[in-house]
Amino acid sequence: MSDAIVKIRGTRSGLQLSFAKDADYEAIEKEILQRFESGSSFFVTGTEVFVSKDSLPHEQIEKLKRLFHRRGMRFRTEKHAAAHAKGKEQQQDQRQPAKEAAKEPKPGKDTSTEPQVQQMVVINKTLRGGQEIQTESSVLVCGNVNPGAQIIAGGSIDIRGTCRGMVHAGAYGNSKAFIIADHLMPTQIRIANLIARSPDVVEKTDKAERASIKDGRIVIEPIER
Amino acid sequence: MSEVIVVTSGKGGVGKTTTTANLGVGLAMRGNKVVLVDTDTGLRNLDLLLGLENRIMYDLVDVISGRVAYKKALVRHKKFETLFLLPTSQVKDKSAVNPEQLVQLCEELRKEYDYILIDCPAGIEQGFQTAIAAADCAIVVTMPEISAVRDADKIIGELGRADKENIKLVVNRIRPQMVEKGDMLDMGDINDILSIECIGQVPDDELVVTSTNRGEPVITMENSHAGQAYRNIVGRICGEQIPFMEFPKEGFFAKLKRVFGR
Ligand SMILES: Nc1ncnc2c1ncn2[C@@H]1O[C@H](COP(=O)(O)OP(=O)(O)O)[C@@H](O)[C@H]1O
Ligand SMILES: [Mg+2]
Repeated sequence: MSDAIVKIRGTRSGLQLSFAKDADYEAIEKEILQRFESGSSFFVTGTEVFVSKDSLPHEQIEKLKRLFHRRGMRFRTEKHAAAHAKGKEQQQDQRQPAKEAAKEPKPGKDTSTEPQVQQMVVINKTLRGGQEIQTESSVLVCGNVNPGAQIIAGGSIDIRGTCRGMVHAGAYGNSKAFIIADHLMPTQIRIANLIARSPDVVEKTDKAERASIKDGRIVIEPIER
Repeated sequence: MSEVIVVTSGKGGVGKTTTTANLGVGLAMRGNKVVLVDTDTGLRNLDLLLGLENRIMYDLVDVISGRVAYKKALVRHKKFETLFLLPTSQVKDKSAVNPEQLVQLCEELRKEYDYILIDCPAGIEQGFQTAIAAADCAIVVTMPEISAVRDADKIIGELGRADKENIKLVVNRIRPQMVEKGDMLDMGDINDILSIECIGQVPDDELVVTSTNRGEPVITMENSHAGQAYRNIVGRICGEQIPFMEFPKEGFFAKLKRVFGR
């Protein structure tokens, strides 16, 4: 299919989509849906999809964005855009730039035009077994992270509850990232490229704890908050 | 106001069908009109627990496919006159009933019955999605063991995804001596993980099995602990404040951590 309406190219960070010159939006969406249906190995959960923001009118870009988000994929229109959460939690996430935390989130607005703004994914519920969050930004969970749940964050992870799942901070190499939880008892902690397995017997701590990298090792220490 | 309640678990064999039968009888004993809908196709056994196997003429698939009106397929309980069973098919295709069809059927049933209890198949596939579609409330049944609790956790997540927020927990087959020795999760451990409202703690009780063989659920037995626990659940469903039966003391985090903390 050399004259396809949707052209897909693999890039280092994911997929780049471009469209035939005069293709109308209906046809584009139809073809993408067909690829989804056919179980194409391109479009798997968590894949980052890049569409240049000049390639389609704004409202069509927004529609596409929703389409990919519903499938648990990340969507970018700028080369170094900020993160989007992935996976089943997609619809429920409230993404908001940390600096604007007090204001209402603006789901429609693509803050990726301000690459300096640190974003944070806020999860306002317990993450249960089988649920997964993956994002390039930091994550705040107001709830527990249960066994079998997983968080992979480019930045740090703050859990206002008990963490028993698998948590990976600094997943894209940031060794300054840290993990905080009211009760930190995960199956595994990863920061950047280091892995720490919890001891076979873990007591429930009364104090919040913080895991970070010190002298090339993951250390856990109690904190006040 | 009628209520559609789905009884679900994730893991099989934890006591969904037992719970459905007992709550159905209990609600009927209080004078409610109750219909039990068995959606566990191929693993039909709600009829057995109620001693109604030999009275089945038609099943859920017959009703959904329009072959018979639902009233023809309902089997009235021998003893409890306001209790009815809509049996599932023993053989027919699992995907024969889709969510919209069950929602529609429940809309019909709501006009006649106070409580519609749906016995759900194990797993989170199509059968599960169908069973939960019409529910106002879900009762998640689990057992005090790691794998059952983990599956319950997944199911609660799935229910959340389907916008079912009214979820209650029943912990079945509790063995107080084992809990006391730390060989079984205690209620503190379970609530800690699942963090949803618990409306039932049912002990493991041989009478559950013997009553099954007689086709009369244990809730009818005055002297059974499990029967008492089920009567308490029925009371709580009807909005009464009933304290939980005494179980040995809590606080066995160590065991939990040993398994969860790996
Ligand atoms: N509280 C209990 N005490 C003893 N046995 C029980 C109890 N609850 C269930 N059982 C037994 O466990 C088995 C599985 O129960 P069932 O209700 O069929 O589970 P499910 O419908 O979830 O597959 C049955 O043999 C039943 O008699
Ligand atoms: Mg069953």
